[in-house]
Amino acid sequence: MTWSKLLMVSAFLFFLLSFPTLLVSASSEDMVTLALTEAEEALVSTHEAVLEAEQAGANVSGLLDKLNLGAEYLAEAYVWYRLGVSENASRFAGLCSDVIGGVSSEAVELRDEAKRLGEANFVVNMIRSVVGVIVVFVSCSIVWLIFRRRYRRRVGLMSEVVSGES
Amino acid sequence: MNLEEYRILFLVVTLGLALVAASPVLGVVVPFDGGSEEFSEFWLLGPGHNAEGYPFSVGTDEMYSVFVCLGNHMGSSEYYMVYVKFGNSNQLDFDSSEPGSLLPLYEFRVFVSNEDVWESPVTFGFQNVSVEDVVLSIDNVTMNVPIEDVVLSVDDVIINGIVFPVDASTSWDSEKSGFYFRLSFELWRYDVALKSFSFHNRVVGLQLNMTGS
Repeated sequence: MTWSKLLMVSAFLFFLLSFPTLLVSASSEDMVTLALTEAEEALVSTHEAVLEAEQAGANVSGLLDKLNLGAEYLAEAYVWYRLGVSENASRFAGLCSDVIGGVSSEAVELRDEAKRLGEANFVVNMIRSVVGVIVVFVSCSIVWLIFRRRYRRRVGLMSEVVSGES
Repeated sequence: MNLEEYRILFLVVTLGLALVAASPVLGVVVPFDGGSEEFSEFWLLGPGHNAEGYPFSVGTDEMYSVFVCLGNHMGSSEYYMVYVKFGNSNQLDFDSSEPGSLLPLYEFRVFVSNEDVWESPVTFGFQNVSVEDVVLSIDNVTMNVPIEDVVLSVDDVIINGIVFPVDASTSWDSEKSGFYFRLSFELWRYDVALKSFSFHNRVVGLQLNMTGS
């Protein structure tokens, strides 16, 4: 075998061996990117659910604590990703997804409960207001009638006094 | 006062009392928006947890600490991100309304409730700081390079225990007599409508003098 043939065979073997490594490396990179994207999307959609619960008047501080833990893991994942440590990046992205799993459904439950409570409070407040307004109008009318009667009596007495003096 | 005037007075008082009685429902139906301004606060505290003692003259083999803090007054809970960047004064401008072009080294992500404050300690240090082009050799004659042409470079920045390789360098600042770098903290906020993070127009940072390193 000549030197040139040996060189060609070596080059071919080198290419053959390095190709799967490149493939594995590329797919591992894709896996990390996918894990990061999934964790980010999960965090954002969970936050939206928590926001809805908050706007409905629910106490979401417990849910925000869980979201914060997830966000901490995701930040760590991005830091390792930029440093090229894929293993840590995908581990922290996975931790983020694990931590916030179930928070969304909790937020929906809290939102529905807060809405129910809000509606019940609204009805109670409505009744209170209507009763309050009726009480105000009735009592003011009574006070007005009593006042008017006394006012007229006093004016009548004064006019009698004036006519008596004249 | 005649009876007609008393009648008007009674009517006004009755309407006022009726409004007070109806206020529980009015509070729900009519939005009483006080026109409060929505904003976020962003600041740094020194190692003593107050606004003094910020690291300034820094060197290698020593760790420094500050606290990064933010306050949410946006009317609802918010998703924030803080990017930590390191570079020279040409790369990082604290007064700019644009984010720095450098890639972030470290980042924080946090959800802050409305009217709540978040803070986190940040420790940082530097490794592999070197001075380039100190001596010039021309025709076998060695001479010292003028200080204005000397470049100081930093190869590693350590933030919260993680070592970040950087390619940061700065030349002598003749106005301030020193080699200056900057550690900046940029505030980003998740925009629910845009479904992405956007720069929140707030940058705080430290000017670091590395002359003694």
